[in-house]
Amino acid sequence: MRRRVLLQGAAGAALLAGASGPVSAQSRAETLRYVTGATINTLDTTMPGATRESFGLSMCVYDRLFAFGRKKIGDNWAFDPDTIRGELAKSYSISPDSKVITITLRTDATWHDGTPVTAEDVKWSLDRHVLAKSLAPPQLSTGSLTRADQFKIVDPHTVTVTLDKPDRLALANLCVCYTVMYNSKLAKQHATADDPWAMEWMKTNTAASGAYIVESHKPGESTVLRRNEKWVGGPDGKLPNFKRIIIQTVPEPATRANLIERGDADLAIDLAASDMPTMEKSAKAKVVSIPQTNGFTHITMNTTMAPFDNPKVRKAVAAALPYDDMFKAALFSRGTKLYDASWSTTPPDASFPQAIPNKTDPALAKKLLAEAGFPNGFSTTFAFTTGQAATAEPMAALLKEALGKVGIQVEIQKKPDAEFNTLESDKKMPLYTDGATAWLPYTYYYFYLYFTRDQRWNFASWKSTKMEDLTLDARYQTDKAKYDGDCKQMIELFTAETPLVMLWQPNHDAVMAKSVDGYTYQFYRQADFRVLSRV
Amino acid sequence: MLAGILRRVGRRLFASIPALFGVVVVTFTLMRVLPGDPAVFFASGPSAGKEEIEELRRSMGLDKPIPVQLFRYLGEIARGDLGRSMTTGQPVVLDIQRRLPASLELTCTALIIALLLSVPLGVLAALRPGSAVDHAVRMLCTLGVCVPTFVSGLLLIYAFYYLLGWAPDPTARIDIFASTPPEITGFYLIDFALVGDAEGWWAAFRQLVLPAFTMALFVLAPLARMTRASMLAVLGSDFIRTAHAMGLSRLRIIVAYALRNALLPVLTITGIVFSTMLGANVLVEKVFSWPGVASYALDALLASDYAPVQAFVLLMALIFVLVNVAIDVLYGIADPRVSVA
Repeated sequence: MRRRVLLQGAAGAALLAGASGPVSAQSRAETLRYVTGATINTLDTTMPGATRESFGLSMCVYDRLFAFGRKKIGDNWAFDPDTIRGELAKSYSISPDSKVITITLRTDATWHDGTPVTAEDVKWSLDRHVLAKSLAPPQLSTGSLTRADQFKIVDPHTVTVTLDKPDRLALANLCVCYTVMYNSKLAKQHATADDPWAMEWMKTNTAASGAYIVESHKPGESTVLRRNEKWVGGPDGKLPNFKRIIIQTVPEPATRANLIERGDADLAIDLAASDMPTMEKSAKAKVVSIPQTNGFTHITMNTTMAPFDNPKVRKAVAAALPYDDMFKAALFSRGTKLYDASWSTTPPDASFPQAIPNKTDPALAKKLLAEAGFPNGFSTTFAFTTGQAATAEPMAALLKEALGKVGIQVEIQKKPDAEFNTLESDKKMPLYTDGATAWLPYTYYYFYLYFTRDQRWNFASWKSTKMEDLTLDARYQTDKAKYDGDCKQMIELFTAETPLVMLWQPNHDAVMAKSVDGYTYQFYRQADFRVLSRV
Repeated sequence: MLAGILRRVGRRLFASIPALFGVVVVTFTLMRVLPGDPAVFFASGPSAGKEEIEELRRSMGLDKPIPVQLFRYLGEIARGDLGRSMTTGQPVVLDIQRRLPASLELTCTALIIALLLSVPLGVLAALRPGSAVDHAVRMLCTLGVCVPTFVSGLLLIYAFYYLLGWAPDPTARIDIFASTPPEITGFYLIDFALVGDAEGWWAAFRQLVLPAFTMALFVLAPLARMTRASMLAVLGSDFIRTAHAMGLSRLRIIVAYALRNALLPVLTITGIVFSTMLGANVLVEKVFSWPGVASYALDALLASDYAPVQAFVLLMALIFVLVNVAIDVLYGIADPRVSVA
C-alpha cells in the first residue's frame, strides 16, 4: 500500500511535466495578452455601473468623433488634452462666436457590419448621449451638450453642434469614453418600446466601427478582440500593430506578476507597487512609469463638520502632515509631489493639479490649533478603503503619529469599498483619504467638479460663492488671459482655504514584456491597445 | 430496498424546504443590513451624481421597502430568475451555469485525490499506531491543515510554474490560447473525453492538477485522521479477532472487513468536507484564477452586489442538502442496516 501512494505521487509529478500545447510563434507575436485583476462588466460604457476595465475596452472597440493626441513626458507617452484630432470626424471648424461646431465626417468609415458611417448615425448617437438614462448625459452637460436639437444633420457627411454659450469643454467632451458612436441602423433593430436606445442589447453586443472587434466575451474570465482590418479612425489612418488582443482576468496580483516575468503575458497595469523594484530588474519584463497627470491623491476634511469647518484647523492639519515620510512609505516615492511648493500666495502658472505650498511644520500646526481654539487638540477618525489599503495603511499610521504629536487623536478606520463609497457620497466622514482623476484635465474643470456644488465629488463639501463665480466665468471665457487669471485665483483661494490637502500624483505603472513598445498613459487610466506594438 | 431509499430521499428533500426558505430570508435581510449601498458603489463613474444613484437604485428595485423587495425576490426565485449581477453585467443564472461546473470539477477532482491519499494513509497509520509511519502521517496532516491554501497554492505555483516551468500558467481552466470544448456538461474533462479530443483533455487536465492538489492537501487531515480513528476502533473489535482466529488473509481482513466497517464515519466527514470545499475554496480559485462560484460570490460581496451573493448562499444550501441525501444513500450501501430504519 505504501508503494501505491508513492506511485501516485510520481504519476502526479510526471503529468505536470508534460509539454505545453504548440502555439505558432507567428500568431503569438501578433497577439497581445493583457492580464488584469478587474472585470469588464458591459460592452456599453455608458451603462450605469460600468467598470473602468470596460472603458478601456470601449475605447478600442468603438470610435468617437474626436480623440486626444499624445505627447512625450520624459521617455514615455501620455495623452495630450490640448491636441484634439478627428477619429470618425475628418475635420471640424468652429464659428467665430465659438457657438457652432461644424463636423465633417470621414467618407471612407464603415461599421463592423460593412455599412457606411453616416451623419444619421452620428445624430442618433449624440441624441442617445443626451436623452437616454445612461452615464453620458451628466458628463456631456459639463460641455453644455444637453438637448437633441443642438445636433443637426447638414448633409450625409456633415453635422453641426450648436451651443447656447461658448462652452470651452464642448469639443473635449466628444473625446471621452462615453461619447461613442453607434451603428444606429443595427441598434434600432434591437430597440424596444421600453428601451428605445437598445441599452439592454448593447450590454452584450456591439454596434461599433472601432479598431477592434469583440470575438468572444466571458465576463470575469476573458475577452478576445480581433483587429478591424477596415479601420480608418487611427492617426494617419494606420492599423494597430496587434492582430489579436486577449484580455484575461487574473485576480491574484502575484500570479499576474509571475505571468509577466515568465513572458507568458505581455501587459499588466495593476500590479502591487511593492512588486515594481523586482520587475525593474527582471530579464523579460520592463516597467513604464508615467505620472498620472490628470489625478491626485488627497486627504479630505469635511468642511461642514466641526472642527474642520474652521479653515485654521484645516491649515493646522495641512502643516502637521509628514509628507515626505508618507510619500516614501505609501508610494515608494513613485509619483509626483503635490506639496512643498516654493510659492506662498500666488501660483506661478494656471495649471492644476500643481504643487501647493504645504510643508511639514508641527510648530505652525500647534500655533494654528491654539488660534482656532483647540490648544489641546481634539479627537477624530481617519478612514480609507480596503481597496487602497496597500498605500493608505502605512500612510494612516504615519498620519496618526504626526497628528498625535500636535494633540489631534486619530482613530484609523478601514472600510470595505462599498461602505466607504456610501459614507463618502453621504458626506459622513470627517477625515479620509481617496484618489481622484479627471477625464478632462483643465484647471477650471477640476475646480468645477471637485470644489463646487452640493454633489458627490465635492469631497470636502466645500461651499464658496467666490469659487462658484470663478468657475462659472472661466467656463464660458473665450479670452485666454482672463481664463488663466480666473484659474490662478481659484488655486489661490483653494490654497488659502485648504478644503482638502493635496498629496501627490501616483505613477501609473505599466509592466510589460520587453518587446512591447508605445505604451501611452490615457485619461481613463487603461491600456490603449491601438497604440501598442511589438518590436 | 430501492423503494425504501427513494422514500427516504423524498422525505429528506421535502423536510429541507423550510430550511432553504429560512436561508433565503436570512441572506436577503443580512445583505440589506450590511453597510454599503450598491447603487453608490456602481455609480462611481466620473460624472455620477445624486440623480444617477437614485436612478440606479430604482432600476435595482432598492427604492422599495425591504418586505416588498423580499416578496418580489421570492416570486422571482419561484420563476427561476435570480436577478442580474452588477459585477459581471450578466444574469446570475447564466453566471452560475457557467461557473458551477468549474467549481464542481475542481472540488470533485480534489476530493478524489484527497480520498485516494488519505484513506490509505489513515489505514496505514492505524495498522501501526505510535510507529514512525503513524507520526509521519500525523505530521503530513498537520502541515496540510496549518498552511493556508493560498500559501500552499502560491508555493506550488512558484515551484512548478515559475521555477521549474512544468505546470502551465495558473490562469483559468484551460490555456488561453487553446480552444474550449463544446458545452455539454460544463466539466471540461468529461466534455473533451466525449468529443474524443485527447489534446484538449490533456490541456484541461494539466491546468487542473495544481489547484486540485492544493485543495486536496488542505482536506487531507480530517479524512486521514477520521479513517485512522475509525480503523483503530474497528481493528480492536471482536469480529476482527475472530477473523484472525479463522486464519483469513491479512489483506482480506483489513480491506473487506475492517475498512468497510470503518467507512461510515469517513463517509459522513467526506460529505461535510465536500460541501465546505465547494464554498471555501475561494482562495484557491483566486490564486489560480479559476472561474468558479466561490470567487464570484466573494467579488460580489465586496461590491455589495446583492443578487449573486444571495444566489450563491441558496446554491450552497441546496448542494449541502443534496450531498447529505447522497451520503445517506451511500450509508445504506455501506451498512445495509441503515436503510431499513
